[in-house]
Amino acid sequence: MTARLRTSIRSFKFAVILMLLPLLQACSTKSPAAATNVGAGVSRTAEGKPDFSGIWEMKKDRPCPQGGCTDNQVVNQFFDIGAGLSGGLPYQPWAKELVKQRMEQNGKDDPSSRCIPGGLVKLHTNPFRRKIIQNSGLLVILFERDATYRQIYTDGRLLPSEVDLPSFNGVSVGAWDGDTLVVQSIGFKQGDTEKDGAWLDRNGSPLTGAAKITERFRRVDHGNLEVMLTVNDPKAYTAPWTIKLNQVLATDGQDLLDYNCTENERDAVHLVGK
Amino acid sequence: MTLRLLRNFVYSFTVLLLMELPSLAHHSFAAEYDASKPVTLKGVIARVEWTNPHIRFYMDVKSPDGKTARWEISGPSVNALTRNGAKKDSLKIGEAITVEGFLARDVKNLANMKIVKSADGRILLDRIGDQQ
Repeated sequence: MTARLRTSIRSFKFAVILMLLPLLQACSTKSPAAATNVGAGVSRTAEGKPDFSGIWEMKKDRPCPQGGCTDNQVVNQFFDIGAGLSGGLPYQPWAKELVKQRMEQNGKDDPSSRCIPGGLVKLHTNPFRRKIIQNSGLLVILFERDATYRQIYTDGRLLPSEVDLPSFNGVSVGAWDGDTLVVQSIGFKQGDTEKDGAWLDRNGSPLTGAAKITERFRRVDHGNLEVMLTVNDPKAYTAPWTIKLNQVLATDGQDLLDYNCTENERDAVHLVGK
Repeated sequence: MTLRLLRNFVYSFTVLLLMELPSLAHHSFAAEYDASKPVTLKGVIARVEWTNPHIRFYMDVKSPDGKTARWEISGPSVNALTRNGAKKDSLKIGEAITVEGFLARDVKNLANMKIVKSADGRILLDRIGDQQ
């Protein structure tokens, strides 16, 4: 083989590699859908972010008793927010004792029995519907339960270091991590003691005013919204814990309906423990 | 192995308990009603409150000795019933009905409904099936 022929072959190989480069690049880079892990049918906002707008409700994954459901079909996490967590929730000793006492008393002292708002976590697990409204700097969630709302600011502002006036749902800011909206919240209302904060579930798992909650909202596909919720509350729990909350799009065309607990509340006086 | 069997048993038992417990989103069912005390009542609707957190209606029930007692019956939320196809006029004042439900724990003449039927057996309200 002459030197000239060898040079021609090298040039040809180089040309082939150049031609194949775009193809190789396409193969080595994940497609947009795979990279963002968002399924088909998810519409996007003008800014290119997944659009969470719609009416959602918790996915009904709790089996009905024999003969049918006896009341609102709620998820297991409504009763035990740690349902499905290996080893259960990592309660601090005082919190574990408190939950034991509350369960022994049939959960009669659940603040929601007296129509007190359940707070951010229970708003996820209750069986009522919620509507998400989204624009470029704000995501609002309207809830049937107690006709309440959440405002999640996505305009770049930072979470305040402290909140002057704690509230049931706290103060929330969100930031995008790819196609996942990461929401951080603090400033949860607590009474005189750490035992007097929100109940996270019917068992009475406590939340103190020191808690920070992180939610990762991801629209898995058109009909499914996944929320990975992490509670970091070292006063009540020995370690942060994370649960998955599955929500589904309501497709029957029914809008939100008012649910004002105080309208005709007459049960609280009849609640008894063991 | 024994530990695993025990753990599986405890888990299955817990799941079974969760499956069997009735639930109320507003308050604990077990704190107000006794699931071990089912009741069937026949009477006439006297008043209907189509309200949240639970609908309530009142019925006059005649006992074997001829006396009439007024019962208060609590049901699901308006939201749950509406999504199950029920309407405010599903219950009509003066209509004869049969109610199956559970007795309250701390007072008399109060029950939580499971199903309400008309005199000819039509289901007027029920909790069977998907009620959010």
